[in-house]
Amino acid sequence: MMRKSEPVIFHIGWNACINCGACVAVCPQEAGFISSFDTIAVNEVCDIACMKCEAICPVTTITHTVAKAADS
Amino acid sequence: MHKTDFDLVIVGAGPAGSTVARLASEAGLDVLIIDKRQELGAPIQCSGAVSRHALEEVGVVPSDEFIHEAIYGFGIYNQVGDAIRIDYRQLKGDEYGKGDGKKPLGYVVDRRRFDRHLMTQAMRAGAEVWLKTEGLGYTPSLNGHCTVQLRQYNQELEVRAKVLVGADGLQSQVGKWAGLRTHIRMTELASCLQVVVDNVETEGLLEIVTGHQWAPGGYAWVFPKGHGYAEIGLGVIRTMTNDNARVHLDRFMETSFFKDRFKGARILEVQGGGVPLAAPLKIQYADHMILTGDAARHVNPITGGGIHTALSGGRIAAEYLTKVIRSGASTVSANLKGYQDQWLEQLGNKMWKLYRIKSAIFRNKNIAERDEQLYDTMSAYFSPYSEYKKI
Repeated sequence: MMRKSEPVIFHIGWNACINCGACVAVCPQEAGFISSFDTIAVNEVCDIACMKCEAICPVTTITHTVAKAADS
Repeated sequence: MHKTDFDLVIVGAGPAGSTVARLASEAGLDVLIIDKRQELGAPIQCSGAVSRHALEEVGVVPSDEFIHEAIYGFGIYNQVGDAIRIDYRQLKGDEYGKGDGKKPLGYVVDRRRFDRHLMTQAMRAGAEVWLKTEGLGYTPSLNGHCTVQLRQYNQELEVRAKVLVGADGLQSQVGKWAGLRTHIRMTELASCLQVVVDNVETEGLLEIVTGHQWAPGGYAWVFPKGHGYAEIGLGVIRTMTNDNARVHLDRFMETSFFKDRFKGARILEVQGGGVPLAAPLKIQYADHMILTGDAARHVNPITGGGIHTALSGGRIAAEYLTKVIRSGASTVSANLKGYQDQWLEQLGNKMWKLYRIKSAIFRNKNIAERDEQLYDTMSAYFSPYSEYKKI
């Protein structure tokens, strides 16, 4: 069966990130899905893949790639 | 060895956390407040406007240490620049102004200095503060307390608390530890960006610009920032626009009715944040745990203002927790519900009412009508006769 959305890994362009925390505030993941810089996690697979973090970012600096089997 | 047993362990030393810490310490509780940052208030995610009344209500004495500039009123603009000015220097000239015996209506504060000041006052009242200390999780136990796992300078440690207070902001992890659904809907989180600028004149008023054209779902602002500086910002609801906040801010500065005023602006700082224009959290407590401030979404859903609500909510939390802990009652969730009840009675019910007003406006799909409703609502909200003056 096709999943609605495939698990992803997020990437943050740190040059543009203003550490505003909006991505974490909309994130429906469980506790701990955060990076050391108070953004959404960047080294963990997100299986929800709702992409709200990407949309809320005031400077549009969050992107994603589809997670490979080896990532999870 | 560190002390490891406390009445309260507070995660987050912002205005809410430090207010809980100060007032609970003054009342005799044993309080630890932790913050993972190395300096408070930064990175700045807030415009810093707060009423004088809000400070006085919780016993914070206005001080040059943290005040950027005094505020005497409001200017509310519609999308084409028609404005209502509510200047208390004119409305109540004998009370408001710069002279002897006169007062400002409010202030724009420096969040770095303000947050540090509130922390200092909490420490002077007896609270212990650990910086560079991050909360990792908590475990409620059966014998009247919880264990809180911390990391401090890479070292993991544990402390015990009768109540853990989550004052860890919009990105709250403490609420998630307790299994509360704390994340905010996309349609209710304004994506905000502001710049601190030189060479833009202000006149002691908080200026608010409504209109879908400039800030869909939110509004734009121009606030005085002291030293001749200003801050220009806006918040947008991303489900109402294809463009991000930065694009909207550029457009507002370059093409709005203020474009001549902003022409010579020199950008000194860039700041952003998520501002909830949302309802308060429905459940703000669990076993041995309460949430306060942004973490409990104690934010005014019309203005997005969160300092006053953080200070007041912090006071309510401190008063309630002091009472419960002094009584010797267990701090299981059933005994902490009273905090939320108190909060609703003193503040929350009014915020729910504002939330319903705001929601009704943004449910209207007719942009022209909605613009007019938002402008009217903002103007009424800031009027001297508003029933919501104290939020």
